[in-house]
Amino acid sequence: MGAGFLVGVIGVLILSHATYSTIQYRALLKITEEEFSGPPIDVVIELIVSLVLCLWAAMAAPGNFKSIHPQSEENRVVALPANLDFMIFNHRGKIFPLETELKLK
Amino acid sequence: MQNNMKVILYSRTFMAIIGGVIAGILGLTSLTGFIFYFLVMAMTSVALTAKAKFSIHSYFDSWNRILLDGFFGGLMSFVLFWTFAYDIVHIF
Repeated sequence: MGAGFLVGVIGVLILSHATYSTIQYRALLKITEEEFSGPPIDVVIELIVSLVLCLWAAMAAPGNFKSIHPQSEENRVVALPANLDFMIFNHRGKIFPLETELKLK
Repeated sequence: MQNNMKVILYSRTFMAIIGGVIAGILGLTSLTGFIFYFLVMAMTSVALTAKAKFSIHSYFDSWNRILLDGFFGGLMSFVLFWTFAYDIVHIF
């Protein structure tokens, strides 16, 4: 969370600086009475940098994906019955006759 | 699954907002802005695929989850921030 969030904040700060530069550029154009055709090159570079930083933040900040397969190593809940501490012997299965002889035949 | 969808939605909304502000600063109008939105969303999809380590089916049930989910909700945020940034930079 920490590093990705920080990168996102830096990206947004660069973005606001690019906005401010463009506003000043518009003011300059108003003085020299030219038409606006596109933002200057340094603003474009700032925009690209902030886009990359924010893309990184959007990937890093929200958290990781979790596997949807039941038999994966990350899935702790499914792995619990395999743990010996969770085995139960006091259940209704004990009133049924043992069928060990059946298997031995 | 629910956790993964939440992560996708968060990433998409954030990228839509950032894309909207960038489109506004660049001064894009009408169709160009929507093409820019498609580019940003395609980039986000590729990045999400890379985040899932290119094995979509161990994290999601279909490709639509990663490609289309949150697209129209993101479009609304995009248009909002696009007009907002355009107004700040180019009109006032």
